[in-house]
Amino acid sequence: MSVAPSPTLTSTGGVVVEGIEKSFGDVHALRGVDFVAAPGEVLGILGPNGAGKTTMVNVLSTLITPDRGRAVVAGHDVVTDPAAVRKSIMLTGQYAALDDMLSGYENLVLFGRLMGLRKPAARARAKELIAEFDLERAANRRVGTYSGGMRRRIDIACGLVVRPDVVFLDEPTTGLDPRSRQGVWDLVRSFKNAGITTLLTTQYLEEADALSDQIIVIDHGVVIASGTADELKHRTGGSYCEVVPLDLEEMPAIVAALGSLLPAENLAALTPESDRITIPAPDGAKTLAEALRRLDDASVELVDIALRRPSLDDVFLQLTGHLPTTETAPEVVS
Amino acid sequence: MTATTWHTHVRAAPDTVQQWWVLTTRLIVPSVKTGEVLSSIVAPAAFTASFYIPLKTVMMFSGNGFSSYAQYMMPLVILQAAAFTAISAAFRSATDSVAGLNRRFGAMPLRPLVPVAARMSANIFRLLISLAAAIVSGYVIGFRFRLDAAHTLGFLAFSLLIGIAFTLGADVIGTVSKSPEATTQALVLPPLIFGMLSTGLAPASQFPSWIQWFVRNQPVSQFAIVLRALAGDTAGNAGTISWSLVTPSLLWLAAILLISLPVAIRLSSRRA
Repeated sequence: MSVAPSPTLTSTGGVVVEGIEKSFGDVHALRGVDFVAAPGEVLGILGPNGAGKTTMVNVLSTLITPDRGRAVVAGHDVVTDPAAVRKSIMLTGQYAALDDMLSGYENLVLFGRLMGLRKPAARARAKELIAEFDLERAANRRVGTYSGGMRRRIDIACGLVVRPDVVFLDEPTTGLDPRSRQGVWDLVRSFKNAGITTLLTTQYLEEADALSDQIIVIDHGVVIASGTADELKHRTGGSYCEVVPLDLEEMPAIVAALGSLLPAENLAALTPESDRITIPAPDGAKTLAEALRRLDDASVELVDIALRRPSLDDVFLQLTGHLPTTETAPEVVS
Repeated sequence: MTATTWHTHVRAAPDTVQQWWVLTTRLIVPSVKTGEVLSSIVAPAAFTASFYIPLKTVMMFSGNGFSSYAQYMMPLVILQAAAFTAISAAFRSATDSVAGLNRRFGAMPLRPLVPVAARMSANIFRLLISLAAAIVSGYVIGFRFRLDAAHTLGFLAFSLLIGIAFTLGADVIGTVSKSPEATTQALVLPPLIFGMLSTGLAPASQFPSWIQWFVRNQPVSQFAIVLRALAGDTAGNAGTISWSLVTPSLLWLAAILLISLPVAIRLSSRRA
């Protein structure tokens, strides 16, 4: 902590994390996490339950103090200047934290006034957000009666009564219906347009894929991979082409027809039980077209032929040896 | 949700006093609007009626040295009113805790003690209503302040102090438990046990001898003794205020506050 701040730590309005460690007794929730989220960037924090995502968010939102390391949020150190961090951030947890006795409108006014707005300004802002978040019909109903999607919307709206520099969304779409989830996604994209840095923790790979500029994958308290979704996918070997014959008897004919398109290792991967053949597609659609032409010439009937890109599921499986949803260890909370 | 024009350039400019005020009123306004605050009036009245009407004759027959049963049982009405307010205090703090509001406030520019201070302010508001209702109920059945203004003010201040100790303790219990239902159910028992096994309704001499030591020394009985002395009685058996009379009560209150206050502060400064 006595080290002079490095240039990256002071010049950024985003989030800079260097060597953060946090333990709860014998549980090492974070074991030296480093990453940077540039201002206005959406950073996806991907990992299974218990990986340390929520602990990371708790450290960055000043709810817990790290044992070691430095973290700077919107230009403020989370340990030495937590008050300034709290003025610059918005946090929504896995469950909407609202006053259920109050209406949606009253919750918005409450949070507006907590953030320092005078009464008229808080009321005007509440009306604005009610309209913007499509909650007019429910505005005067008690929040306790809201559906999951509406709760999530009002929860996020309450964090936007004033302008945040950094937004933490901790599994914001867990348990939401597809339409509500789309709404949250649109909102994250609008944060980006407004130049707000967003840290999005999620277990859903497609969510990180759809929204994030950068993704870090956390497992057992360390960052095991980082990069753009494309970069991460590239690590599993890039695009490939999948060929599924109608009649499995034709497998040898397909192998013969594909010829040079089928490298030795893909051929070796075939077993008598295989119902499809996979070939690398370094040229994408061109490889697909070439394979299709050759198979057509050989008059092989196919059920399916398609160009596939590895999903983040594949990436995750390769990085951790397990799928994100199969891990059931409880999330460590303080 | 299109969410394209929600942008604002207004920044957070937190004001501690304003935060305390809005967090206090959020607990008061809804209960006034829904009429739930009436329970603070109805509960002491119902308590008074349900004990005074059936017990009055038998208690005056067996004797307690007071001019009227109303004068004798008034302290227990006050204590029940305080206990009732404490239960709703625990309910509210458990509700905030389980809803994740405490965590959310922890990541907002609020000073750590503002939420608990606001909850206690709202609790005191309810206490004042409840204590006023208790005294009015007492007046209806014949209770009167028989001593000078200083004693009467002492009665009111001591009642409030007891209520503050009860509600602070309950607030801590609710915050830790995070379960509004379980907490409320669990907290129904202590007032019942301590209220019944006390000298609030009948003198210790009317209890079986093996339990008299408990009945006489437990806090509710001690509080009742002090409140009776502060209210006075025309029969002259209400006791007089002295250090030996008030010290046990003050020690009980100090104990409750000395345990609850540091825990409340600790819970508030732990933000996650």
